[in-house]
Amino acid sequence: MTCPPDPSRRAFLSAIPALTAGIATPAQAADAQATQWGMLIDTRRCIACQACTMACAMENATPEGAFRTVVATYAVTTTEGSTGLSVVPRLCNHCEKPPCVEVCPVGATFKQDNGAVLVDGDRCVGCAYCVQACPYDARFVNHDTGKADKCTFCSHRVEAGLLPACVETCVGGARIFGDLNNPDSEIAKRIKSAGDGVRVLKPEANTRPNVFYIGLDPALAGRVDGISAADMMWRPDHHGG
Amino acid sequence: MTTTVEVLGFARGPDWLPWAVQYFFLIGVSCAAFFLSLPGLVWRLPRWRMPSRLALLAALISGLTAPVALMADLHQPGRFINFYLHPNFGSWMAWGSFFIPLYVGSLLLYAWLCLRPTLERLARQGGRLEAAYRLVAYGGHDSPRAIGLAALSASLGACLLLLYTGMETMVVSARVLWNSPLVPLVFLSTAFVGGIGMTLLVAALSGRRDVAPALNRGLALALAATFVLLAAWFGGALSGHSPVAAQAWSALASSRPWGPTGLWFLGTAVFTLWLAVRFPRSLWPTALLALHGAWLLRWIVFIGGQGIPRMGNTWFDYSIGIGPDGLLGIAGSLGLALFLYIVLTGLIPWDERAEA
Repeated sequence: MTCPPDPSRRAFLSAIPALTAGIATPAQAADAQATQWGMLIDTRRCIACQACTMACAMENATPEGAFRTVVATYAVTTTEGSTGLSVVPRLCNHCEKPPCVEVCPVGATFKQDNGAVLVDGDRCVGCAYCVQACPYDARFVNHDTGKADKCTFCSHRVEAGLLPACVETCVGGARIFGDLNNPDSEIAKRIKSAGDGVRVLKPEANTRPNVFYIGLDPALAGRVDGISAADMMWRPDHHGG
Repeated sequence: MTTTVEVLGFARGPDWLPWAVQYFFLIGVSCAAFFLSLPGLVWRLPRWRMPSRLALLAALISGLTAPVALMADLHQPGRFINFYLHPNFGSWMAWGSFFIPLYVGSLLLYAWLCLRPTLERLARQGGRLEAAYRLVAYGGHDSPRAIGLAALSASLGACLLLLYTGMETMVVSARVLWNSPLVPLVFLSTAFVGGIGMTLLVAALSGRRDVAPALNRGLALALAATFVLLAAWFGGALSGHSPVAAQAWSALASSRPWGPTGLWFLGTAVFTLWLAVRFPRSLWPTALLALHGAWLLRWIVFIGGQGIPRMGNTWFDYSIGIGPDGLLGIAGSLGLALFLYIVLTGLIPWDERAEA
């Protein structure tokens, strides 16, 4: 014959999860509200080596010909006749007002409390409406998975206490990742010290990006009027992508 | 003045494939053809009896094919159920997933109610399908009131479909060619161009030249409306009143493939208008040219519009493939439409002369 459990002991044991959850939840919620991930790209330090492009592709196993981050490279000739190299490293801007989230018909694209815009791969139907809505060409349909794909700020690495792969690998230290809301973080300090020198891509799109640039030529911050060295371009149809 | 050469750019290919063009084309054609069926089948205008019957056939063929093309454009077609399980009503596409079954379901009900007396007559004639005709005729009553209610429901569905397909495209501010308030209106006017074209094609296949004058008159009106809307778009682009249209115009005009494609569209559309006015009894040429125009406009908007660079300066050089995402997809959806035409005309006489 088994004895019935002591009611007082049972009450105590059943209260433990509620107690621990009660202690943990406010702490997590406070953390999530406080953290706002962002990236600062100092284009003066970028040498267009595409190490970030490759590191991202390796880390996130993107299909051949599809990239979550790229470094567009320009030869700019001034009125004086001098020619220099300009770069625009690009990735998802994890916007405050992401147009991709608004248009997703099934709510598969969402913005986390920490600012990262992610795709719920179990829900995505692969309609590509988010791809159309992104003003930054940051999204694509992954033809291996049939789902929308984009930069996640390497959230799997960040959750494990690591930096995004592109930041980790950047040769010149051009990419700085961190908590925008923490005034002691490197990114917050650098943005503050740069003052008016901080820019975003396509400010007129009013999406309020969380990827910032120092040293960005405003003429290269969106669609660029210029010549395309088409034969030198990377194109998926030329490379079986 | 500084000059910029994009040394290393990254162009993304279109993610709305030719399937999407097929869908937007076919659903527009179906909705417009459905509206053409109303004068003869709901309002019972004797002059419109035959054109409206043919228009109903055109609406059925394209209306049943369109959703298949849409499903094929999803990269995860098996997950279409998520549209109903997790709808985000802030998205026009989510609304569209409810408008499509409303329209197609109402269209089928409307067609069945219109065809019941015909099915009953077929049952009385006997033959191997007698029992099936009798079952489907379900008494064979002509119920003008029920037809009117079904037509009302289908009209609502058609209006909502025409609205959502235009708005879904227009709201994408990231695409300069799409982001114009004129886009839903141009889609509407060219839907009628295509709907009349499809009805003319069905009439041509039935040898009904007598319906051509009324349909060609409608085609001329739809084309004239399209030219007015395109003139307004060009006016906004060239005068600078619409900076978005100006960007799209400068991009397309300087593009090697899309500049000539646009000129070809305009040239053939003018020729179609001239043909419809000058030769009102022409069937095949106006039918095929009207369908060509309605389809080509959507091809330019969707495939051309996705090619215009949003960042940098690199165009994506689109070339249509031969596989399911390209020519096979287009041929497949047209094949399905042909199959439906054969089945529907094989089982039901749409021409009153044959019925008599």
